[in-house]
Amino acid sequence: MVLAAPVIEVASFGLARGAVYALLALGLVLIYRTTGVTNFAHWGLGLFGLVAYFLLTSKAGMSPVLAAILSVLLAGASGAASYQAVFRHVKRTNQVVLILIALGVAQFAAVVAQMLLGFEATTLVEPWLPVSRVNVGNAAVFSTQIVAAGAAIAIAMMFLPWFRYSRTGRALRAVAQNREAASLAGIDEHRYSTIAWAIGSALAGLALLLIIPFTAGDRGGVITAVETTPFGNFLIPAFGAALVGGLVNLPLAVVGGFVFGIAQEMMILAPSWWSTRRSVVAAILIVILLLAHTERFFVVRAEQEALEA
Amino acid sequence: MSEPILSTNGLTVRFGGITALDRVDIGIRPGEIVGLLGPNGAGKTTLFNAISGFIKPDSGRVVLDGQEVQTMFPYERVTLGLGRTFQHQRLFRGLTVEDNLRVAQHRHLKAGPIAAMLRLPSWRRDEAEARALVEQMLDVVNLRPWRTRFPWELSYGTLRFLELASVLSLRPSVLLLDEPATGIQQKEVEALGPMLKRIRDETGCAIFLIEHDMGLLFGVSERVYALDFGKIIAEGTADEVAADPRVLESYLGRTRREGAASA
Amino acid sequence: MKSLVAPAETAVAEAAPPPKSLSMRMPRLKRAQVLAGVAFLALGFLPLAFGSFGLYIAAYVAVWAMLELSIVVVTGYAGMISLMPFTFVGIGACTTGVAVAVWGWPFWLAVPLAALATVPVSVMVGAASVRLKGLYLAIATLTFGNALGETLFKWDDFTGGQAGHVMERPKLGALSFSGDFAFYVLSIATALLMVWAVHGLKNSRAGRAMLAVRDNEREAQALGINATKAKLTALVVGGMIAGVGGAFYLALLETVARSGFQSPYVELTSLLLVVWAVIGGIDSAFGAFLGAIALITQTVVFQGAERVFAYVGVYAAFVLIIFLLLRPGGIVQVVKIQAERIRENPSRAIPASIIGFGIQVAIIVVILVYGAE
Repeated sequence: MVLAAPVIEVASFGLARGAVYALLALGLVLIYRTTGVTNFAHWGLGLFGLVAYFLLTSKAGMSPVLAAILSVLLAGASGAASYQAVFRHVKRTNQVVLILIALGVAQFAAVVAQMLLGFEATTLVEPWLPVSRVNVGNAAVFSTQIVAAGAAIAIAMMFLPWFRYSRTGRALRAVAQNREAASLAGIDEHRYSTIAWAIGSALAGLALLLIIPFTAGDRGGVITAVETTPFGNFLIPAFGAALVGGLVNLPLAVVGGFVFGIAQEMMILAPSWWSTRRSVVAAILIVILLLAHTERFFVVRAEQEALEA
Repeated sequence: MSEPILSTNGLTVRFGGITALDRVDIGIRPGEIVGLLGPNGAGKTTLFNAISGFIKPDSGRVVLDGQEVQTMFPYERVTLGLGRTFQHQRLFRGLTVEDNLRVAQHRHLKAGPIAAMLRLPSWRRDEAEARALVEQMLDVVNLRPWRTRFPWELSYGTLRFLELASVLSLRPSVLLLDEPATGIQQKEVEALGPMLKRIRDETGCAIFLIEHDMGLLFGVSERVYALDFGKIIAEGTADEVAADPRVLESYLGRTRREGAASA
Repeated sequence: MKSLVAPAETAVAEAAPPPKSLSMRMPRLKRAQVLAGVAFLALGFLPLAFGSFGLYIAAYVAVWAMLELSIVVVTGYAGMISLMPFTFVGIGACTTGVAVAVWGWPFWLAVPLAALATVPVSVMVGAASVRLKGLYLAIATLTFGNALGETLFKWDDFTGGQAGHVMERPKLGALSFSGDFAFYVLSIATALLMVWAVHGLKNSRAGRAMLAVRDNEREAQALGINATKAKLTALVVGGMIAGVGGAFYLALLETVARSGFQSPYVELTSLLLVVWAVIGGIDSAFGAFLGAIALITQTVVFQGAERVFAYVGVYAAFVLIIFLLLRPGGIVQVVKIQAERIRENPSRAIPASIIGFGIQVAIIVVILVYGAE
């Protein structure tokens, strides 16, 4: 069976988009599961990384690859800082306040990003990976799309065993399941919550860096006004992806990310009424996932109670 | 003798192999204060739970105001006039003392949201009625100084009084009180007896009371049931029950066996 | 019901000659109310000093206060986080546009229609709220708003196309509200009426049921409160308020572009509304008014000055977080606490309040000077 060229090209865009959703969802799940915060500021924290990358490359003249690595670390640091400064001081039982605070942090991050970008309507950023066209059959796809998808899969493949078997991963899971018992076992809840926020935000920073600097192919990418809004265009589908795993299951969040990304891009090929209303499909999917209460399939009762307590 | 407002008939509750309540028959007449006595684990709270609907009995009947209620949900029994306090606090943290007492009147008020937004007469009547009852309740439990405070600003003892007032605001015809004196100061315990009598006199509701403070229990109750191992072992006036050898046996026997006197 | 009805009435009779403490308090309360009324009237005329621009801004504040009120009911009273309040505004605005600009209805008939038009969406959210709590409802509303932006607000007949419907300011017989002053009076009167209504809701059976469900849903049910009904009431009332606000929003701007109700701007504006409602005092109708004043000062007065805009935005986010951590009742709670402190210990609390207020003013002045340099 030979796929038509447009299908392959669209699918490759979908893979890249899916990689971004998957990485965002991974961070959302990690943060929700260990600290109980539905992180509406996730996009904003990732945005810090992207803005840092822009400043380091254009203002400080740093080499793009080095700047990208530093930016991911900076995004992680911003996540750790926001946990230490804000979220650790809120009782987890108060979901409404937690969400409102996350919205405040999202607002904060978006405005700071606009300020750092100098209030330009669009900002050009250079690519940090070589961009070339690769021929797949008779279709041409961008190398960075393959890199993005590969990177997301590789990170997920490394991350999942690490979360399962490493000392830190075990501690994170212990904090997720029972904070009191974890602290009795000598696990510092706040230390591991900080780690979860740092990793989650670093993944968000990486997610943005994998797609935004390549939106214009080999000429780099553009940060538009949409990117500097508090939720961007990516946070809602990322929540959808995370909901595939009930906001708690890491592997399914990654799968969900690719499902949402590929489905969203493939819909471009659908009849025009649908292709211009892609977020409707995303919304329907998300509402179905929400109403199915997917979380109940993945967590033991104790953990669910810990999250809702 | 009037018909009982609350009665149970052959009420039996089993937990696995253990019979927590064994064919319990009680009857409480309107306006009566009745004590329930028994050592720890005798089944007192289980009886309350079965009456108020938080436990499903295995057999037997619960009759409230002439209606069989053993299959009803707890809130339906509330609607029929059953009020109950719990050993743990159940109040609204975000509402003031006054508003906690107003929320409890929900089922007696009628005005809808539009009436409230336009301050229609039906809303005015509602609020006047609610306010009058709040004033009365604040007096009954001596909470006037705290009326605009929030529950988390109050001491444990004060909270118990607020809880009592909140249940009273449901305007129950039968009130089940589960250890109202627990956790409050001795001075307040002494005020509790006259307060319960006043509540009965002013509202006419019957009170069914579990209490470990024997002074309070015998001082206030007109009749007492003694429960042990899920069975009613004695019934009568306070003096009769206090002198009943089976009751003494159940307490003293326990004391010797477990070293845990409850009184 | 043999219990408290009769004694309650005697209690009223007894309470009729008010006890001393009460009679002492009454005149003081009244004096405070008179003072507040005078201050309010004075503030009401303040925009006149700034001429036409001042009146326009003041009308903007009034309209925005209506929008904030919907959040007070839904999030403040009933504890549901809805991230689509501006979508309801859009429904109200577009419905008004269709009714007035296309069907030729008078504005006064279009306003109730705008309110009613929001009900189906409220019911949809309400149906979701039965099964979804807290964060799940927040995510659901976020996606609803997003999806409606791509369906309802892409429907040209409804939105009036890219440019939107054009509507003149309303008239009532010979009385025209097209002038800045007349429209300001109309919108501020409507906004205050709605503040009054929403405040009344809080002190009623329905409002207290919402507050009880917010605090502890299970316990509320134990008192015989129907939690589903309470939530649905809050959503429908909140949606209708936003719909009326939308009608006035269109009357204020005379045309509204649909892109404002589409992603990502709808999320942006909805978020701003929620943020400023929290700062003002999310469970208080007056707080909504304060939040609206602050928000409009930020977004409209300094529309051109991006730096001021951004500095105020950062400062607002900062204040929001501080408030949520320390004073979840927002400005209203701060004022209440401060007033109580002044009553208890005037010699200490008055200077402290003045210093605190001064610091706030200083921060804002610094932002203005530095941002506008």
